[in-house]
Amino acid sequence: MTIVVAVGLASAILAGCAGGGGAAKPSAGGEAAKKPYRIGAVLSLTGSYSGLGTPEKETLDLEVAAINAAGGVNGHPLEVVVEDDGTDTGKATAAVSKLIDQENAIAVIGATGTGQTMATRVDIDRAGIPELSLAGGNAVTQKFDKQVFQMPWPNRLVAPFVLKHMKGKGVKSVALFTDASGYGKDGLAVITPELAKLGMTAVANETFNPGDTDMTAQLTKMKAAKPDAILLWAAGKEAATIMKNRAQLGITTPVYGGSGQARTEFIQGAGAAADGFVFGTGKVLLPKSYGDAPNRKLAEDFAARYKQKYGAEPNIFTAHAYDAIHIVAEALKRIPGDVTPAALRDEIEKTSGFVGLDGTFTFSATDHNGLTENDLVMYAVQDGKWVLAK
Amino acid sequence: MAVLRRMLPGAVVAVLVLGLPLVVHDRYLLKVLSFVGIDVVVVLGLALLFGFAGQISLGQAAFFGIGAYTTSVLVAALGWPWLGGVAAAVLVSAGAGALLALPVGRLKGHYLAMATLGFGEIALIAFTELKGITGGTDGLSGIPYPQVGSFVARAPEANYLLVWAVAIVAYVLAANVVALRPGRALRALHGSEAGAQASGIDVARTKVTAFAVAAGLAGLGGALYAHLVGFISPGSFTIELSILLVAMVALGGMGSLPGAVVGAVLLGMLPYLDAVVPGLTKSTVEALQSWEADIYGAVLILVMLFMPHGLAGAFRRFFPGRGGEGS
Amino acid sequence: MGPGQVSWPELLQFAIAGLKNGAIYALVALGFTIVYASTNVINFAQGEFYMLGGMFATFGFSHLGLPLGLAALAAVIATAAVAVVFELLAVRPRVGGDPMTIIIVTVGGSVLLRSLARHAFGSNELALPAFSPGESIMLGGAAIDRQTLWVWAVAAVAVFALWLLYSRTRLGRAMRATAIDGEAARLVGIDTRLLVTVSFALAAVLGAIAGVVVTPLTQTAFDVGAAVGLKGFAAAILGGLGNPLAAVVGGLVLGLLESLSVAFISSTFKDAIALAVLLLVLFVRPSGLLGRSRREKV
Repeated sequence: MTIVVAVGLASAILAGCAGGGGAAKPSAGGEAAKKPYRIGAVLSLTGSYSGLGTPEKETLDLEVAAINAAGGVNGHPLEVVVEDDGTDTGKATAAVSKLIDQENAIAVIGATGTGQTMATRVDIDRAGIPELSLAGGNAVTQKFDKQVFQMPWPNRLVAPFVLKHMKGKGVKSVALFTDASGYGKDGLAVITPELAKLGMTAVANETFNPGDTDMTAQLTKMKAAKPDAILLWAAGKEAATIMKNRAQLGITTPVYGGSGQARTEFIQGAGAAADGFVFGTGKVLLPKSYGDAPNRKLAEDFAARYKQKYGAEPNIFTAHAYDAIHIVAEALKRIPGDVTPAALRDEIEKTSGFVGLDGTFTFSATDHNGLTENDLVMYAVQDGKWVLAK
Repeated sequence: MAVLRRMLPGAVVAVLVLGLPLVVHDRYLLKVLSFVGIDVVVVLGLALLFGFAGQISLGQAAFFGIGAYTTSVLVAALGWPWLGGVAAAVLVSAGAGALLALPVGRLKGHYLAMATLGFGEIALIAFTELKGITGGTDGLSGIPYPQVGSFVARAPEANYLLVWAVAIVAYVLAANVVALRPGRALRALHGSEAGAQASGIDVARTKVTAFAVAAGLAGLGGALYAHLVGFISPGSFTIELSILLVAMVALGGMGSLPGAVVGAVLLGMLPYLDAVVPGLTKSTVEALQSWEADIYGAVLILVMLFMPHGLAGAFRRFFPGRGGEGS
Repeated sequence: MGPGQVSWPELLQFAIAGLKNGAIYALVALGFTIVYASTNVINFAQGEFYMLGGMFATFGFSHLGLPLGLAALAAVIATAAVAVVFELLAVRPRVGGDPMTIIIVTVGGSVLLRSLARHAFGSNELALPAFSPGESIMLGGAAIDRQTLWVWAVAAVAVFALWLLYSRTRLGRAMRATAIDGEAARLVGIDTRLLVTVSFALAAVLGAIAGVVVTPLTQTAFDVGAAVGLKGFAAAILGGLGNPLAAVVGGLVLGLLESLSVAFISSTFKDAIALAVLLLVLFVRPSGLLGRSRREKV
């Protein structure tokens, strides 16, 4: 039997290769349009990060259409090829290989998650093309890779910002509550030394796992430690459960958090129990927080267009994708002649004072995140809405 | 002559598989096929454990991970040669498999399933929490490509050849295990433990051996994976992988090594259909990716409904008298 | 003061947390055990019934505008309907064959249901309001949330109804007979195929009830089934497969183990500790805490 299977398999594979080489060529609409710039994207459209990857893809589609409608980049239309990594590191590396080798992408946007970004770096480095990660993990830019740029505010920026705010409110002792996933652990690694630096102490250090349905045991321990405040560093829906459990236990200790709670689902899920929750993240949640800066108009304009197209509010993930595609477009614009991935990487690194939604980016040879604490702001949850924290 | 005729089909397959890079230069396809080859290595071990010894394991991802972390730490952090790292990965995971089998070997059926499932979850927690060794959720990056002497398997072709050469060797070894005395002991175990005992087979030892071999092959696959991808993190060693591996064996047909290989190839290729099926439009590919899990679930159900003995069983039904091998 | 640094009210609070999670695990474990009794297989789609219960309830409440109670009831019925369709189409043709075949069918069903739920309801979490909002009830210095009372009440009613079914009805007696010896049950004229369908429906009802009643506390999403399914499976095994009382005991013990691990050891390792205890129990009593040793079946 083996031989039949083998021959069938081999011929299927050979047939596949014969056709696979000529990947679908784009059918450019405009007759006189120049050759499109093809950008790849590795996003988590399925799997546990699909709630992040999906709005990211929507944003890329929306913005590429807008850029092309306005004449493209130096007359070249943009084309984005999105690959799904299924929130899996192995699939992410296969996806990036495809974008590099089959699609000849000149840049890659993504991945959505930190683990997936780290996994794709091997191929990104080999191909020498720039990657604009939408993942917020410290490792993305702390374990420096000259090909890789990071759109979100990493925890090493956000956590100290939140802790300083807490200190300003007179908080001295903190109960730490982090999730056992990458986001919580990444934050904890920053928070612990920062606490010492600020002269604050951690009186409790509890964790929970994604999927846990009750956190009253951990909160009971925290309550006994009598902290001035609880610092919640977690991504995912469990944060809402924590706020409810806290209310159920009658705990009045204030709770602080970071970007993980910058989602409307958190507020809807926690309901009244989220009232008074204070968290720090980028300014995009409330465009007025940019003040008079030009980012404000950009954010309001994008929010209106996104809402019109998809009928949903934009979020921080749409902001990451927005900045990534526009940073690439701006860099491409500055390259006069033929575009090579190496030239594009160099040009992206020269990005300075780029006005985006995550903030105002200035990259350098040593800083591939390019954001500062000035791009962050503290919010409070009040009556089911975000307001600027006092 | 008879021996030659029996070996011929296998040899043809091996030549075709290993000769593929002569005609295929698509790096993406070669990478995808390398992943599939790794699946084959792991599934062969599970097929021995599962299809022949009748012992279920829902924790193979743990051994896959143990192998991956062992070689990554030894080679990337401690500077061991690649071959040493991979050999150690096989030994450590096989040892872990044997250690697990010692107490767990007493369990049967669903209790065994739960025990291996629990072991997989505990291993996953260990991968996440032993940050000093495993890098925690940040994972380990910078794992070098396979290197023997001064030759570095950097090109996808080289990695493809390496993975599939290992897979073919693993297949030959597994086929011999099945055909020879140890295989008879395994199958006796599948039939009835009491019967196996009565016919003088050391049941406990056979079980431990079967677990160790399956874990060793899973560890070997994990080691190959780590050096191929260059980055590992706990997310790659979850229960989903364990279940996918079981599904591959079931799809192929329990008790058939060729079936297990085909099951691994088919389910392993499913996420990457666009690599082998020509002319798929972008929107088709996107739809396929979005519905991949649905397809995978539906395929499992349909195969079990219409081919309860997997592909190998269906093959035997349509070509009676030709599928003698392995069953 | 209680043991170590923990005061009695705190200990009570840990127990409440453990018994609340435990009640959820018990309902899911009952689902496992009922299907196991009629088919001799573990239904890996059990966790998805829990997910579907919550999903359908949020859909009925938020999108169809049903009153909360009606949405909850409709969700349980809809989940049972899904389970029956799944059983008729995918499981029934293979009943009586190799148990492994049905196990793989349920693995496929679990993947399929989860993914279909993502397509139908999206990938973000969905919320449901509390059944009876209000302050927690204080008991001996510990707080009991009102929804937790609902969890216990609903679980208790479900277990009681199941007991009535098993002990007072012909159907229940037939199910028990089948669980003890399927072959003999068939010989005395029991329609074992029908019982498999009924057992899937019952398992779905129990899973969905758990999902509905816990969603106000936890929200729900397409991917919540796997984790709870694993816990329910562990609880069923811990107690001893095939015995409904054992499933309830297993669930409560598992929940308590987790919350006491948080209290006295570490929240990071609570799952590892619970699983390690489970493995230890299995090594000492290979058929679970209350399990009879059965004849070799697999």
